[in-house]
Amino acid sequence: MSDLSVKDAVVAARKAENNARIEKTAWTWQEAWDRYGSFVVTTINLTIFFLLWELLARSGVVNKIFLPTASGMFATMWEGLTTSAPPGAVVSGSIVDHLAFTLTNLSIGLVIAIIIGVPAGLLMGGNHYVETVLSPYVWAMASLPRIALVPLFVLMLGFTMKMQITIIVLSAVFPIIINAWAGVKTTEKSLLAAARVFGANKKDLYLKVVLPYTLPFIISGIQQGIGRGLVGVVIAEIFGGSNGLGYLISRSADTFNSELMYAVLLLLAVISLSLIKITRVLEVYVAPWRQINKL
Amino acid sequence: MGIAENKVIAPVSDQVSAPAPAKQHAEPVIVAKGLTVGYKLHRERKKLTALKDITLTINKGEFVCLLGPSGCGKTTFINAISGLVQPWEGTIEVNGKAVTGPGPDRAMVFQDYALMPWRTVDSNIRMPFELQNLGLSKAQIDERVRKYIELVDLTGFERSYPYELSGGMKQRVGIARALATEPTILLADEPFAAIDAMTREAMQSELERFVTKTRQTVVFITHSIDEAITLGDRIVVISNRPGRIKEVLDVNLPRPRFDHDIKNLPEYTALRDHIWRLVKDEALSGAHGEE
Repeated sequence: MSDLSVKDAVVAARKAENNARIEKTAWTWQEAWDRYGSFVVTTINLTIFFLLWELLARSGVVNKIFLPTASGMFATMWEGLTTSAPPGAVVSGSIVDHLAFTLTNLSIGLVIAIIIGVPAGLLMGGNHYVETVLSPYVWAMASLPRIALVPLFVLMLGFTMKMQITIIVLSAVFPIIINAWAGVKTTEKSLLAAARVFGANKKDLYLKVVLPYTLPFIISGIQQGIGRGLVGVVIAEIFGGSNGLGYLISRSADTFNSELMYAVLLLLAVISLSLIKITRVLEVYVAPWRQINKL
Repeated sequence: MGIAENKVIAPVSDQVSAPAPAKQHAEPVIVAKGLTVGYKLHRERKKLTALKDITLTINKGEFVCLLGPSGCGKTTFINAISGLVQPWEGTIEVNGKAVTGPGPDRAMVFQDYALMPWRTVDSNIRMPFELQNLGLSKAQIDERVRKYIELVDLTGFERSYPYELSGGMKQRVGIARALATEPTILLADEPFAAIDAMTREAMQSELERFVTKTRQTVVFITHSIDEAITLGDRIVVISNRPGRIKEVLDVNLPRPRFDHDIKNLPEYTALRDHIWRLVKDEALSGAHGEE
């Protein structure tokens, strides 16, 4: 009998032993409630919210221009999302075209912000001189309200995609830099010491300790960046241009089309929440070890 | 309390045990001469001496316990051996060569385990092989990792992450990681300090078993007198800040210690009493210090 098969047998026995300790239990109401309760509550909660909204709008207490019916808003949203502008139209009135424009800009902006922000943050955390030189600019830019910069970039770049992407990058890059920087700074000293004892050189320390340790920080930086980037892009679009959800909001307000405006607002909230949800999932995926003590 | 007056009672002769193997032919592996190490406190423009004038020779296959109060510089000594810190004065040599940095001949077990939380048990133990080229093939490394996972009794947990393990299991991963590269010197920095008393006893006995098998030289830091006597061939008692060697004691108790019920031997009690009197003042003077 080979040595290997003996070991396999030992492994199998161990696994069986551990599996024997785990017992399947039947669902109880309490467990089902713990697991799906919040989903049920949220569904009921939102249904009641939209029903009350509908009743309030239909009762005529509030002016229709300030508050359209919920059903009207959903109908407009559905129509806007399913129909595209006819070819050759100068300005589209459909939501889906503007949504695509905004999301394209947002993704390009975020990718650029990540490409710039992650290495910048890592360098700042790892090198004292880079940190000293860059930190005043990073803090100044991070605390400056980005809206204040929009007129400047409109002046420089006009109402172009370039201007909007610049605004998104500037909004999203600083939370990414600051988080990556903080991640490097808080890397546990004993992990670095262990890696050094076992032969890590500078490059190994960065790639095999600092970067994996910092990854969840970077992702939460991206999460903040998405939120800020969305604010940036909508503001840039409201300021000017003839494309994007921000433009659609300002135009629907100008034309007293409150159903469309509410539809776009709701859509923005949904987009923002979904993007944040995606980063949460990503966070759990890349760093399961950080989730254990989290809510 | 004078040091000299106590010296007489230290070495206890023992008829039951086989002679400690380390002493058959003493071959020095770690040699510290007048070693002084410390840290710079940059912001305060101050230097802090952690260890002062340590002269000590540790021989091949010896299990040396460094005993002293918290913050006395024990860890600094082990860091100097591992090459994580450089001496200010004096020299530290390992296998005849001055220490300039970490090397594959030395491995360390950490008090807080220091396992990479994003790596599985298997991957953590494999990490030293990724970081340094020991001239082993992929298959040899696989075999090594497997062997040491088995040695520390973690078979079946290869794919587990550290956060899924208990403290004792985590430290067994730490020990397997240190042993897997088969270093000649094993450095342990209070490895069992954070582990509950029952598990600690079991792990002490396991560690004794591993290193008797591998014949490694071990430098083991502890602040527990019992642990030092239970494990050590020699005990180096270190005084409070800055750390100096107060006394070096031989422990001539039979091995494996756990099979001999040494705690009931009169030699054990005498040794324990002697060390306690040595460290009592230190412990009291250190009680209002940091940590």
